[in-house]
Amino acid sequence: MAMPPENLQPELELVRRMKGGDESAFVHLYRRHRDAVFRLALMYSGSPATAADVTQDAFIHFIAHPAQYDATRGTLAAWLCGIARNLARKAAGWREDATDPADLADDTAPHESHVEHDTPLERVLRGEAAEHVRRAIASLAPHYRDVLILCELSELSYAEAAQVCGIDIGTVRSRLSRARERLAQRLAPYREGAKEAVT
Amino acid sequence: MNTDAVLDLELDDLRRELDAIRAPDALEGALVAKFRESRAAAKPRLWWMPPLALAATIAIASWIVRGPVPGNEGLVSLAPHAIDSDPPFVALRPLDQIAKAGGARVVTTEFPRALLADWGLPVSPERAAEPVRAQMLYSANGEPLAVRLLD
Repeated sequence: MAMPPENLQPELELVRRMKGGDESAFVHLYRRHRDAVFRLALMYSGSPATAADVTQDAFIHFIAHPAQYDATRGTLAAWLCGIARNLARKAAGWREDATDPADLADDTAPHESHVEHDTPLERVLRGEAAEHVRRAIASLAPHYRDVLILCELSELSYAEAAQVCGIDIGTVRSRLSRARERLAQRLAPYREGAKEAVT
Repeated sequence: MNTDAVLDLELDDLRRELDAIRAPDALEGALVAKFRESRAAAKPRLWWMPPLALAATIAIASWIVRGPVPGNEGLVSLAPHAIDSDPPFVALRPLDQIAKAGGARVVTTEFPRALLADWGLPVSPERAAEPVRAQMLYSANGEPLAVRLLD
């Protein structure tokens, strides 16, 4: 069995202590990962209230099933993000069929039914430009949105994103590339508008 | 500036905004309470419970077999070696099931020792092929309910 990288050892020690009932170890792990999990849930759900519920449920899952985390397969951060991602998608009622490989050959545009039209669009960020980018990401097809949120915003490695999404690394790369193209297209009118406003 | 670079700047802007966002403080208290709850539910089992349960199982099974089987008093006499010095029966089925088994009978038999492993009983690999003498408590439909090794 592959051993986890050495720099994971302090965190694994905390996980081991937590499994043994050490509350301070759990609190330490929670404080280390809560914000990343909350932000990811916020990006998926577009709702602070839903993101809070998702964060809570993700950590409750961790409390109830700590043995499900396998350090040989990735970091605890990535594992928690994967749980939060699944919970957030479920909470938002996202269609999981968008990840069907047969439908999502890399060169194929997503079927109309895979594109979300009723994404949560209430304002969650203070900065107007950032909020606009967030909305543009929320309007992408789920499989593009997935890799953008995981790789660009949650800073998971391609391997970790691949594991979370259940796809291979090559597919993560190609989807990310296309996701960026689509995002740039969606943001183009906003950029034009911003330019005109300046001139 | 090319489109990719512009997009990177826009994503940087979004990342900065996100970095300023924190999970609600109220979550920690709720989760710590959940953690304590889960620990309370997972308190270590009392160490003496399993051996006590095993002893009770053996004692009750033995009592059931040595005592008259309801409605089958005559059949109990099929156990020719049922004397006080014999080892106790080991239950192979839940006790309530044994207690309810009508028409149960005790039969002295001999079978390969390896068969004991199927019932979760210890078998030495060197002696697995040897025959073993035992008394079996069977239900009316031939299901083994308990076993007592005679050698």
